[in-house]
Amino acid sequence: MRPTKRLISVLFSAVLAGCSATTTIDEYRPTSEAIELNADEQVVILGRRDAGHYETDREFISCVASKMRGADIGVLPEQEFIDAIYPWFEPRTAPKGLSRLKRLMQDTSIKAEVDKRAVRYLVWLDGSTETLDSNGSMSCAVGPGGGGCFGFAQWDKLSVYEAIVWDLQDLTEKGRLRVDSEGTSYLIGAVAPIPFLSPVKDDACASLGNQLKSFFSITPATQ
Amino acid sequence: MLTITMKSFAALIVLSILGGCSSSASVQLTSDFPKVLAKPKALSAAVVFEPSFATYIAKPNTKTVIDMGAAQVRLLRNAFTGLFGRLEFVGSREEITIDNAMVIIPSVREVQVSTPSENYQNVFEVWIKYNLDLESTAGESIDSWFMPAYGKTPDAFMASKSAAIEQAAIIALRDAGAKLILDFYRIPSVNNWVTEEQERVRQVNIKPKDNAEVSP
Repeated sequence: MRPTKRLISVLFSAVLAGCSATTTIDEYRPTSEAIELNADEQVVILGRRDAGHYETDREFISCVASKMRGADIGVLPEQEFIDAIYPWFEPRTAPKGLSRLKRLMQDTSIKAEVDKRAVRYLVWLDGSTETLDSNGSMSCAVGPGGGGCFGFAQWDKLSVYEAIVWDLQDLTEKGRLRVDSEGTSYLIGAVAPIPFLSPVKDDACASLGNQLKSFFSITPATQ
Repeated sequence: MLTITMKSFAALIVLSILGGCSSSASVQLTSDFPKVLAKPKALSAAVVFEPSFATYIAKPNTKTVIDMGAAQVRLLRNAFTGLFGRLEFVGSREEITIDNAMVIIPSVREVQVSTPSENYQNVFEVWIKYNLDLESTAGESIDSWFMPAYGKTPDAFMASKSAAIEQAAIIALRDAGAKLILDFYRIPSVNNWVTEEQERVRQVNIKPKDNAEVSP
């Protein structure tokens, strides 16, 4: 009985360990000094949506924004910013480089809207979470006497996101971050399907959000 | 009594799951669009929203219906305010009352929809192909401008097809507004019309001064 219990616990631990995600962060900043942000200024996090085969999903952007809000950084909701300066940050029109941003900010009406909302920094997020590989099979059946699922399935997920910080006052790039998170999830069918999901996207969000938080240093509001 | 409740509950769950898995989508676009941030030119235009356009219902395939007439009228009304200082929106050409205006008659050429099962990507896509017939108030053709718009939205686990297509269609409509603001005055024939119209206005403004000098 004991060896069986031990075997089950070893298997269970192995499966749970397999569910964890491996996350790597690369960071580039022209200077090691923190980016200064007044308490009355805000940051806006925008997703890149101009790629053909994927979209930086809004859920991920909200997740990173909530991590930054937790550090008392004022974060303007993405849609509110995009709507306020419609149509200049739509997928077709959003600036891809600083030269285009400089031209946009020369427009007094756009600059006025940005200033009205006290948006100092813009963080571009670009990336997606994809399923790389899947194995195994699971079959489920339902009959008059009941039903159940039997089998085993596993799949690998990879989250790759890049964040670029632009200063809307100096119109310069303040830094960039890249996060890679990879993990394997399992689904065991033993009458009921039991999932062991690897938190790949959550890990990428937490790592990116925490690292971005460390970029900024809040200074008291100017009078 | 409890059995009936449980049965009803189970039936409801099964129906909602089947509804979520349904391959057909019927969508009505009801959302509003943000005000455009653009400086209009001191020019006049009359935009004709013909009934076929204002009540347009797209059927891109046998399984998809998008009721987008009212939404596209709202979008274009908003977008044109960023282009022309003086605007008139009418239901037919006969109702136009302003002179020296550009007459714009939008129409939908085609709407296309693509789902993850068709494009093998994790996105729902919507293309709206507009055509803008541009004329003078006298009825002379200025141009016929083809204006494609595109929107996509990511596929989400257990999210309904209708919600995804609705979101992609709204993004496509917003894209149409962006394209209009960005490219309308870049059309060579429109640019020529603007130059001619500005010259005509300049001449009209000069004439009263000439008359004032001549009169005693």
